[in-house]
Amino acid sequence: MTTTLEHATQAPAKGGGLARRQNFITAMIGGVVFAWLGWFLAHHFLDSSSRSYSDLVTTSLTIGWIFGFWLGIGALNGPGRWLIGADHTRADDLYYAGENQGRARYWKYCTDHKVVGVQYIVMTAVLLGAGGILAMAIRTELIVPGNHFVNQQIYNGFVAVHGMLMILALIVAVAGPWANFVVPIMCGARDMAFPRLNALSLWTLVGAAGLLLSVLAVGSLTMGWVVLAPISDQAGIGMDFFAMSIVVFTVSTTVAGVNTICTVMTMRTKGMTLARLPIFVWGSMIAAALGLYAFPYFSLVEAQTLMDRNFSTSFFVAGGGGTGWLQANLFWLMGHPEVYVILIPAVAALFEIASVMSRKPVFSYRTAIAGMTGLAALSILVWAHHMFTTGWAPTLGGPFMLTTELISIPTGLFFLVIIGTLWRGNIWMKQPTLWLFGFIFNFIIAGITGIYLSDIPIDNQLHGTMFVTAHFHYVFVGSVLFGAIAALAFWYPKVTGRFLDETMGRISFWLVFLGVQVTFLSMFISGLKGMPRRYSSYSLIFEHANVLTTLGAYMIMAGMLVLLGAVVRSWSHGEPAGPNPWHANSLEWLVPTPPPLENFDVLPVITEDPYNYREELVQA
Amino acid sequence: MATTNKKESLRGMFFMWALLTAIGLVISVYAPSRLMPRSMSDNMHLTILTIIVFSVAAAPVAAGVYAVALHALRHWIHRGDDVPAPASEQTREHATLTVSWVLASTLLTVFLLIWGLGALAVDNGGNGANPLVVNVTGQQWLWTFSYPGSNVQSPTLVLPEGRTVDFHITALDVTHGFWIANMGVQVDANVGTTTELHTTPNQLGQFDVRCTQFCGLNHAFMVTTGTVVTPAQFSTWLATQAKAQKA
Repeated sequence: MTTTLEHATQAPAKGGGLARRQNFITAMIGGVVFAWLGWFLAHHFLDSSSRSYSDLVTTSLTIGWIFGFWLGIGALNGPGRWLIGADHTRADDLYYAGENQGRARYWKYCTDHKVVGVQYIVMTAVLLGAGGILAMAIRTELIVPGNHFVNQQIYNGFVAVHGMLMILALIVAVAGPWANFVVPIMCGARDMAFPRLNALSLWTLVGAAGLLLSVLAVGSLTMGWVVLAPISDQAGIGMDFFAMSIVVFTVSTTVAGVNTICTVMTMRTKGMTLARLPIFVWGSMIAAALGLYAFPYFSLVEAQTLMDRNFSTSFFVAGGGGTGWLQANLFWLMGHPEVYVILIPAVAALFEIASVMSRKPVFSYRTAIAGMTGLAALSILVWAHHMFTTGWAPTLGGPFMLTTELISIPTGLFFLVIIGTLWRGNIWMKQPTLWLFGFIFNFIIAGITGIYLSDIPIDNQLHGTMFVTAHFHYVFVGSVLFGAIAALAFWYPKVTGRFLDETMGRISFWLVFLGVQVTFLSMFISGLKGMPRRYSSYSLIFEHANVLTTLGAYMIMAGMLVLLGAVVRSWSHGEPAGPNPWHANSLEWLVPTPPPLENFDVLPVITEDPYNYREELVQA
Repeated sequence: MATTNKKESLRGMFFMWALLTAIGLVISVYAPSRLMPRSMSDNMHLTILTIIVFSVAAAPVAAGVYAVALHALRHWIHRGDDVPAPASEQTREHATLTVSWVLASTLLTVFLLIWGLGALAVDNGGNGANPLVVNVTGQQWLWTFSYPGSNVQSPTLVLPEGRTVDFHITALDVTHGFWIANMGVQVDANVGTTTELHTTPNQLGQFDVRCTQFCGLNHAFMVTTGTVVTPAQFSTWLATQAKAQKA
């Protein structure tokens, strides 16, 4: 709808009634009112002595919440008007794209991909912040054996909710802000293929996050973020909130994934062939495609859990013909590809950064694409390595060990591409570069420890211990978060017109980098010594390692707070950056900063890929 | 970058690689057996050996990447706010490098696979004649061990040295993880299903049994101790327990 070439000159339509007053506040009001309605109806009509009464009431309430939230934010306006034959006019579209609305548009159902990108930055920060506070509480409890900072029940809840929040945060950390903000511009498009779906994906995420954060307020959920059956049976209504938040969240990821793929496939400007796409666009598209495969399992497994609880369906109940192993299989069919849905965009952003910062083309561009595609393809065949020690299908141990260890070949290609790109470059030492080097250091450790765990004899010893926790934190914190922060530092000037404060950024880097080493190297040690995961207390032999882990965790938190300070401060007070501070050639740097609504006055025609760092282009 | 520097700088990178590899090898050989619980079975021995072998194989690879990264930080960095000039070599492809990289990582992976599958076969095999069967039951938050053939039930695990033990493991309420931290073996205790595990204790002494699958409020306290005793001591213990529990 926004691909027409003529630039709108008419003033935004005045008035417009209720639909134009909708924002985050009305969404919250809508959500709460409908949640109450859902609760009231269920409470009124259901037999309160039935076994699943509280689950049914909760499910009804959560469905009410999300429906009311959609209604309140205005998600249903467009489809509703289309349905009654009064589709949006061009003026309406421009209104929903936030034309001339200043900062208010950031609180609205705004279809401008750049606004959605910024909204995703804020959502990532909110989820990371909440998850980070819980991480600090967990580490404070574990600083010495027998500490009682919080009681065990609350501690177990913190462990579970920390995991859930951080997984959601990292799923959106790179793909959310940057597949929305920069990918359409990189393709030479005026917006995403489906701008309204873009807004829908963001606000659905906000609704899901609301449900997830509510878990802490309704008696928590103490069963770890995976909430395996049958222990999920023992959970309170927090489980219903969590399961519904995931069902809603997968709507958001599906909508966002379809949108990214369609944008890249159909909205590229003239001459932007697939082989000329910036590598980050490839990464975003591959991750989106993998997400389309993986997240339906997540939705399915949580919907089945809800049905078991609400309607006694016993999909996963051993006594009723079901099995917990089915739940575990479905969960990990999602759970392992999801790791690469998270990792691939971060790595792709780092490819981009390595190229621009070292003033050299991406080394072996096609290998980079092959590596990401190969990783995505392999990742759907490795899920049962999470189940080596469950007792399920021991004969499949060998085959899954094979597929899992093959993962190291495409992962090795990532190192080839990054090292090859940096090789004899003129590497510009700025914040994004610093985080890139941090990533290289951490990702090696993450990869090697992953090889140990893919080996069944080793896994039989280390599965379920802190070693596993340390391994995947090197993946998620040491690698993905570093990539996400590098991407933030890299594209921040395009969003705000200002540099992210260099001094604060460097302080933040060193705190987080050293903090990660102290925290998770010592966590490897407690794991090797034999400390299981999710322990609220531990014996004296694990003390030294745990003290170190907690101190390191505080360093990470301090570093992240400095980073938050830099992001907030630089937004208005940072050093002005101009439209192309890194002298890069991809399209997002060749439009003004901030990019105007619909990005381009005249759509550019592309004749080569963006990696020719010739002198004359560097003038830009 | 002047051509005269080329050889010199790469030699520095090579020395760095050799140094880092040496450090990596020392850690690989020294650390695992010192950090991990005392080995009390062949499975644990194999586990530690495999960790050492994998670490030895990984050390030169990690050292290579780190050496290049450190070299880049020393020699290829441009500081300051002005944009650096385009790099003198605008290399896009290097067929030989790419092919050898893929080959090397494939060979390394194949080696890890062959070792791993072999180790898995050894790990699963080694079932001695006349194994001792022990039934293991997990429930929130304790373990119960019973010895079929006698009526003995025990909250701690007593095993004879040198005889293969077949564990038949199940759970009453939720999934638990049965793990003998000194013997390198673990499997989940599932409701309504029996899983099996076998190992042969080869050292006398105490060990810990810990739950590795989150099982609720007191998961952290679902720990019990076990002892490996001589076969004679085991027979005596079993007889004493049988008598005591009959009474």
